[in-house]
Amino acid sequence: MRVLLVIPAYNEEKNILSVTESINKYNKENKSKYDFVVINDGSTDHTEEVLVKNKINHICLLKNLGIGGAVQTGFKYAYDNDYDIAIQFDGDGQHDINYVKDLVAPIIQKESDMVIGSRFIDKDSVGFKSSSARRFGIKIISFFIKLVTRKKILDTTSGFRAINKNLIEAFAKEYPAEYPEPVSTTEVLKKGYSVKEVPVTMKERTNGVSSIRTWKNCYYMMNVVLSILVVGLRRYKK
Amino acid sequence: MSFELKLTSIAFLLVVILIIASLVVKRHISVKYSFVWLLPCFLLLIFVLVPGILSSITNLFGFQTASNMIFAILIGFLMIIDIALTVIVSKLNEKVRLLVQEVSLLRSNKKHDK
Repeated sequence: MRVLLVIPAYNEEKNILSVTESINKYNKENKSKYDFVVINDGSTDHTEEVLVKNKINHICLLKNLGIGGAVQTGFKYAYDNDYDIAIQFDGDGQHDINYVKDLVAPIIQKESDMVIGSRFIDKDSVGFKSSSARRFGIKIISFFIKLVTRKKILDTTSGFRAINKNLIEAFAKEYPAEYPEPVSTTEVLKKGYSVKEVPVTMKERTNGVSSIRTWKNCYYMMNVVLSILVVGLRRYKK
Repeated sequence: MSFELKLTSIAFLLVVILIIASLVVKRHISVKYSFVWLLPCFLLLIFVLVPGILSSITNLFGFQTASNMIFAILIGFLMIIDIALTVIVSKLNEKVRLLVQEVSLLRSNKKHDK
């Protein structure tokens, strides 16, 4: 099983090196072979220089596409290079490489097609669980996903997700540009694929600003909910 | 409609038609999309030039005055044009995204081959 970590990075000059080094270190210590590709989403800082200088495998997008377009580029790379599993892994140091094996396991055992690293499964965990306003937003999104697909997803906005080969192909061809996590999860469920959540803990961002500043206003929520309802109206073939 | 108003209307419409035509000639608007602008212009021109048409259509649709109807028709046209433009922009967005992705992938492949 060839595993690829897709690492979207927008202006992450301070974080990106420690992220890729943590993967290399993990690979050495556990004799695992997780490949990774950094997608530099048209960064305006020195992310590209850092990547080139340290010879990090990466793709430099000519223009900023946003998280959806960047991650999809990674899935295209995974598809072109015949990977079996692709994992979205944030370039800001929020995600912990030690959980990757937990995300990969259900796919290897053919239990599920998509595995989401969820902050809310293990209620006693002490990791970073976002502000109460965000958790409330995540619950609302969860409600609408259940409304449309009849399946309960707890961490609807988690960007720590693994997909199998079928979904790599599907995502390489079509992936939502806006609000990709909740929308693609809804699509995947509607198409009849199986989705599993496994508990992870996330760290708070060490440097830089999160891409989701829009949380503060209702605009984001309205758009996500509308997108999910639209997915609910569409007819999909698996 | 007074003679002066007729003259003003005709002059205005001719100017708009000329602007659109010159934009098409300069390739700033493709022929396909010029129709949505030229069509309403010519329609209004007919309304102005043929005397009885305007009042009879106004009566037919039950508008109080001819100007009300003109406004309603124009707003309708503008909305349709706007919707069409939104569709076009959305499609272009998709295409640009695809292009940026594929070109970026190709470029990074090329660098690896070197």
